[in-house]
Amino acid sequence: MKRAKSSVSITAELKDFLESGVSVVVGTCDPSCVPEAVRAWGPRVGRDGRSVSLCVALATSGRALSNLRANGRVAVTFCLPTNYKTIQLKGRFLGTARPNGQDLAAVERHRDSFTASATRVGVDRRFMEGAWQEELVESAVMLKIHFVTEQVFDQTPGPDAGARL
Amino acid sequence: MNASPKLAVPLESIEICLEGIVPAAICSCSREGIPNVTFLSIVHRLDENHVALSFQFFNKTRANILENPRAQVLLISPETSEQYRLDLQYLRTETEGLSFDRMKTRLDAVASQSGMSNVFKLRGVDIFEVLDSRPVSSEFRAEAAHKADYLPELDSFTERLSTCCDLDSLLSVALEALSSLFRCPHSFVMFPDEEGKRLYTGASHGFEPSGVGSEVPIGKGMLGVAAERRAAVRTTSMTREMPLARAVRSAIERRGEQATLEREIALPGLPNAQSQLILPLLVGDKLQGVLCLQDQAAGRFLATDERVLQIAARHLTVAISNMRVAILPSRKVTLRHKAGPSKRSSMVKHYKSDDSIFIDDAYLIKGMPGRLFWKLLQAFVGTGRTAFTNKEIRLDAGLQLPDIKDNLETRLILLRRRLDERCEFVRLVHAGRGQLHLVVHRKLTLEELA
Repeated sequence: MKRAKSSVSITAELKDFLESGVSVVVGTCDPSCVPEAVRAWGPRVGRDGRSVSLCVALATSGRALSNLRANGRVAVTFCLPTNYKTIQLKGRFLGTARPNGQDLAAVERHRDSFTASATRVGVDRRFMEGAWQEELVESAVMLKIHFVTEQVFDQTPGPDAGARL
Repeated sequence: MNASPKLAVPLESIEICLEGIVPAAICSCSREGIPNVTFLSIVHRLDENHVALSFQFFNKTRANILENPRAQVLLISPETSEQYRLDLQYLRTETEGLSFDRMKTRLDAVASQSGMSNVFKLRGVDIFEVLDSRPVSSEFRAEAAHKADYLPELDSFTERLSTCCDLDSLLSVALEALSSLFRCPHSFVMFPDEEGKRLYTGASHGFEPSGVGSEVPIGKGMLGVAAERRAAVRTTSMTREMPLARAVRSAIERRGEQATLEREIALPGLPNAQSQLILPLLVGDKLQGVLCLQDQAAGRFLATDERVLQIAARHLTVAISNMRVAILPSRKVTLRHKAGPSKRSSMVKHYKSDDSIFIDDAYLIKGMPGRLFWKLLQAFVGTGRTAFTNKEIRLDAGLQLPDIKDNLETRLILLRRRLDERCEFVRLVHAGRGQLHLVVHRKLTLEELA
């Protein structure tokens, strides 16, 4: 696996946040700088403390995946619905793989914890369950995206949003 | 705006996704091809092909769209869980005008409610053309836009209002009709006080306790801002908007800039209201009152509901306005004096400092209606008089009524409703053609205090 020279290490506190009940959206763009976003599930910080993997539904991520393969740049934002704490990781795409048992278990855990935090701010549980089932209607296949973190930003709304950590 | 091609998924059909009940994400991209993702509160639909995004702080998304105009918004429906992508092309930034003013009022209302009027300010509104809108997965599942037909409900609403002969019954009938015809079971009407500084609740429907008599300062909180700006304020997800405001509040506090913050004001009405629509009742630019509708469900009041309820509110405003100036035919009122005063007695205290009235040490009312009530009670206890006219009250120099004739009627309604709620042995009965009857079923002792 190739590792970017400028990769940054993810602290234990940040790892806990990234793997909690957060809303996760992956941002990509094509060679003409046209953006494409996709919702992701089950983020896991790698053992190296620098890479992160997450899963996307194949049916919703076709353009995002080809963007990642073409341009390699990725931004992933994690937002906790209960207090709007938001972190954005920017980095380089490393590759895709079929999710293994641990990845799929992380997806399940993430769905449960995200549902718990979303229901605390008034979102209906059935809606949350519908949200990921909807992504898998066309195809139940999920794909793992792997990337290395180069920059970490605090994106929590307010005058300091966008500050580099 | 230019005529643009029809979108695959019309924005009107996914209106509920734009309200931020589940926050949308926006993906932008720098000129060097580095993407950026943030979450958004509200996507404002301007027309069939244009949306606007407001901004309070300069951030990476703005920097990106100014150098590369393409962006994408990822939406999710709180009703069906379906997700949609909107491909956007940035056109321009507006810092004034209709769209800007509407968004500014909504933002200022939330900011005021959370005590952040000094820091939470709308800087501008970015206008985008929607190039494409599509479900995130390939199969097309968008429903056709449903165009609700509210004509029968509006017809019934105006008909019911036209049967009312006095302001008190007009308010009761209107709020009941909003509940039965438009599925708005929780509503209240507030009126401006004589000085135009505060709003007080004159009538309510679907609240326990009724909240009649509760007040908010004009210019503060969502209700106060809507009244001050003479503009509608619609919120679709309070549990989302208030934590968002609190996140900003915490950031300000971390910076040690607490001095710029104000006290957070408790929202009147339902403790767990998710949706709220505040409609100022205006004749020209003159504020007659404010109609507030609340609901426990998120996303209850969408842009279409706002338009329909605005029509109902405007009709109500005209009816209120007419009621205040018209001399209406008198109603036959049968007064039940038979019971007469009972052997029990009660103590009524009047505090001159703020004209507050306490009956057996329980607070009833203060201010101008308190002063007015005291005058009626003095006449009743001194001479046994029970019949009064609006005209003599208006002309009574001792009452020091401000020169705002409109307010007497709404103050009398407030007094009447407070008595109905808080005191079982005194009634102020509307007797038609500007006449009032005081009905007292108990011996009263009056005490005036400083």
